[in-house]
Amino acid sequence: MGIKQGFVAGVAVLVVSAALYAGPSGGTISGKVTYEGTPAKQKPIDMSKEPSCAQQHATPITTETVVTGPNNALENVVVYISAGAPDDSTAPGQPAKFTQKGCQYLPHVLAFEVNQTLEIANDDQTSHNIHPLPKVNREWNKSQPPGTPPISEKYDKPEFIPVKCNIHPWMHGNFAVLKNSHYAVSQGEGSFTLPNLPPGKYTITAWHESYGDQSQEVTITGSETKTVNFVFKAKPY
Amino acid sequence: MFERVSQTVEKRLSRAASALLSGLLIIAIVLGNSRPADALPLPSVKVRALPAFARKYGMPCSACHLAWPMLSAFGQAFKDNGYQLGNDRDAPIYQQPAYWPVTFRITPIWHRESQNRTLVDGPAGPNTAEGKVTTDGFDWSGLDFHTGGTLAKNFSFYVLPSSDNTGAFHFESVWARLDNLFGSSWFNIKMGKFELDNLLSEKRILTLTSVAGTYTNYHFQPLVSPGNPANPGAVAESYTFGIGDNQVGVEVMGHSKDDRTRYSASLLSSNDGQPGLPTNRGYGGYFTASQAFQVGSLGLQRVGGFAYLGQAPTYFQFTQGGVGVPGTGIGNKSFYRLGLIGQWYIKKVDVTTMYFHGWDNAFLGSNTPATAPLPVGAQAPTWNGGLFETHYTVSPQLILINRYELVRMSRQVFATNPGNFGNDDVLTVGFRYYPFISSRAGFAFHNEYAIIRQRGASPVNGLDLTTSSLLFGFDFAF
Amino acid sequence: MRTLKMKSIQLFLAVIAIAVFPALTPGQQVDAHIGKLSGNTDAGKHLYFRYCWGCHGFRGNGEGENAPYLNPTPRNFVAAVFKCRSTPTGTLPIDEDLYNSVGRGFNTTNMPSWIELTDQNRADLIAFIKSFSPRWKTEKPGTPITVPPEPKLTLESIRHGHELFEKLECWKCHGQEGYGDGPSAATLTDSNDQPIKPYDFAVGWRFKCGVTNHDLYKIFMTGLDGTPMPSFADVIKPEEAWDLVHFLRTLQVTHKSPELTLWESTKEGAEQVAAKKIYGTPTGSGVKQ
Repeated sequence: MGIKQGFVAGVAVLVVSAALYAGPSGGTISGKVTYEGTPAKQKPIDMSKEPSCAQQHATPITTETVVTGPNNALENVVVYISAGAPDDSTAPGQPAKFTQKGCQYLPHVLAFEVNQTLEIANDDQTSHNIHPLPKVNREWNKSQPPGTPPISEKYDKPEFIPVKCNIHPWMHGNFAVLKNSHYAVSQGEGSFTLPNLPPGKYTITAWHESYGDQSQEVTITGSETKTVNFVFKAKPY
Repeated sequence: MFERVSQTVEKRLSRAASALLSGLLIIAIVLGNSRPADALPLPSVKVRALPAFARKYGMPCSACHLAWPMLSAFGQAFKDNGYQLGNDRDAPIYQQPAYWPVTFRITPIWHRESQNRTLVDGPAGPNTAEGKVTTDGFDWSGLDFHTGGTLAKNFSFYVLPSSDNTGAFHFESVWARLDNLFGSSWFNIKMGKFELDNLLSEKRILTLTSVAGTYTNYHFQPLVSPGNPANPGAVAESYTFGIGDNQVGVEVMGHSKDDRTRYSASLLSSNDGQPGLPTNRGYGGYFTASQAFQVGSLGLQRVGGFAYLGQAPTYFQFTQGGVGVPGTGIGNKSFYRLGLIGQWYIKKVDVTTMYFHGWDNAFLGSNTPATAPLPVGAQAPTWNGGLFETHYTVSPQLILINRYELVRMSRQVFATNPGNFGNDDVLTVGFRYYPFISSRAGFAFHNEYAIIRQRGASPVNGLDLTTSSLLFGFDFAF
Repeated sequence: MRTLKMKSIQLFLAVIAIAVFPALTPGQQVDAHIGKLSGNTDAGKHLYFRYCWGCHGFRGNGEGENAPYLNPTPRNFVAAVFKCRSTPTGTLPIDEDLYNSVGRGFNTTNMPSWIELTDQNRADLIAFIKSFSPRWKTEKPGTPITVPPEPKLTLESIRHGHELFEKLECWKCHGQEGYGDGPSAATLTDSNDQPIKPYDFAVGWRFKCGVTNHDLYKIFMTGLDGTPMPSFADVIKPEEAWDLVHFLRTLQVTHKSPELTLWESTKEGAEQVAAKKIYGTPTGSGVKQ
């Protein structure tokens, strides 16, 4: 439970930090991401090969390809402005943090900006290798034994990048490298907020690692708050 | 090997003549019986281009073949390395269990054969006249079943049952090879029947007609005496040897890792690759060496030399009912063949140049048993030959072929023979177009015209004998 | 059906392409430079369509007609991710790295050594394969890592290397004894999701990226991009890296090396080496490295 709370808190921090960098005022887009249908059942992970990690989980954790909340809420959906907002000319100075703990990636989906520093830490007592698998960005693969300082990296092109650890095949995460600061990752209630949007016509896109993406058009005229909801069709496999 | 009608016919007649003359049965009859001696000339298709290898390694034909069946430098190195790429994945244990390295090749054709002075029956009786004989029609080549490859790491083999176009099979190749002995590419030992280590491989010749399906220089033997009305048919030497023929023996060969430097030395039974020890207990030796070097962006150039030192029997120690007892040929006399070869690659054009020199002992040159005195005036015949073969490889799919071969007698066995008697000139042009290149099978549209002139070799009048061959074929292998 | 149709269309286009390729206009002219050699893209293209396309494909994407039958899969030049580099993980290799790879081949794969081609041919090929990926236009190759001179071989060095092997958990994939049978070995996949096996030191096959100690050093300090083998450049000090090299050589029990000889001269070393299982046949061992 502690992990989940930490995870939610982490996402919240991110959303807040995103808001801080988005500019002083403007309209807001908020809404909920839900699913309809039956999502695939997440499978328990056998960490017996890595006792130092298994010990950290009283009950076995499950895979995270689809994480849901109450009332069909869908978590880990990246909601971002895909068109209408200018690209950020400078990346935020604050690093996006990605942590390996209990042989899990925290957060499971990490959104950050092009050229923003990505800081990857290993809190475990075992070696990990961080192996993101981009298609348009550079593919690298680094070893991180326990007790070594965090790895700093950057991506210079927008892309959704799956991340894996070859040593621990169950470890899967995602990087969402985005062009501007208007993004959020849906939390436990499936809710998201994109504040401080100047007036304009926007394409707002929601991306989920298993269900792909969908977009809607939204026009912001002043300091209004518009509600946009996304519904993903869940597949039972 | 199929031979030109002229030579085949001449040879048969000459053998009979020799037998009469010497009172001995000549070894060549045994040879002759074991060789296909059809009256009609047939295209020669005894070549190696193995989709089985392409399938094993997944490479297109064009990787190993400049134009199949002719090898590229990469293919030559693959062959020299025991059909191994050397990536610890060559042994059969790494193949699908069902993989069976067999390739067959056959060529349906249309061809036209023409000879200006063929021996025919005339008003004066059988075999007394010369006539221009021209034939044409649809036909097919013999069938080759190639199987070869790696038995285990550094153990390779090759077996090639090959048929003529009637379906009569013989073994063109049968050998096994120990590769990279002592971990060195300089030491490989092969035993069996195999093609001599010729840079210009006759088994990979790009031409198929009855005239140009073999290299004239590789098979040339001097004629003994011209035909005349009283004794029709130019008399040829009674023993048979061709550097282009696969020989039986053992070969040591080696090469540098990049295959730039190559050598080979072979000890061979001197029966021209015939099975069952038909002639004698003699041996011959064949030695080759070559070196390749890079010239900027032109490509790889290679120069080399070869020498065959052989001996052939002149009579049988024992006869049975007048027929020589196989393997008891004695009275060995020696002969040799020497050559220099250059392969020049100038981007898309490659030129092969060869100088060839031959010498036969006077006994061989005059078909005289070693126990008998040499005929008056008999001397060791010598000759020189040359070959210029040019390819223009438009793309891996299209190759244009041109070849000119010549042979010039430098000394006739009898000074009374005309000085140019037996001289040959062969001109060949053709192209092969491969409509697809794949790693599974091969197909070529083959188109070729070849013509040979043999000086003074016509059977009755001792005039020039000219033979031409035109061929269109669908050459395929799978 | 759609893919089948696409495939046949592709095949048709491929056949057309090879029929007319001499007439095609050259792609992006990206030259290659290896020492004194300058690779020419156009010349390389002709060579590529003679030697390489069967596996690497007409578009250089590693999807040649034979690719479905190969394991590991042929390199995708469009992605431009290369195993054997002298440059840090995630960077483009220098031309010389690619040139050396073509000449060396990749052991235990279908990629042979192409040393029979001329040096110029290989340089031309490098120039051409670089034209497949836009990365060569937008990125610069990485700066080759600095490899300090190899220190003297000592038993301490081997022992320290062993400690690193434990500490860095190399054994998770390569196994405690270097058989390539570590706990994670069975689950490894490359970046195309194809299963891939970690190197088995005991068999002693040539390393994919070269046979010298220097090459071995580079393998783990740059990582083999596109495979599970990560870079250890951030976590091993250069002076310690040589210790790991020395230790790894002692795992190659079928490959004679000074490291193995020294290790076998100790009682524990001799016992360990003698206890090792040797795989394969006698003809598979004693491979010249």
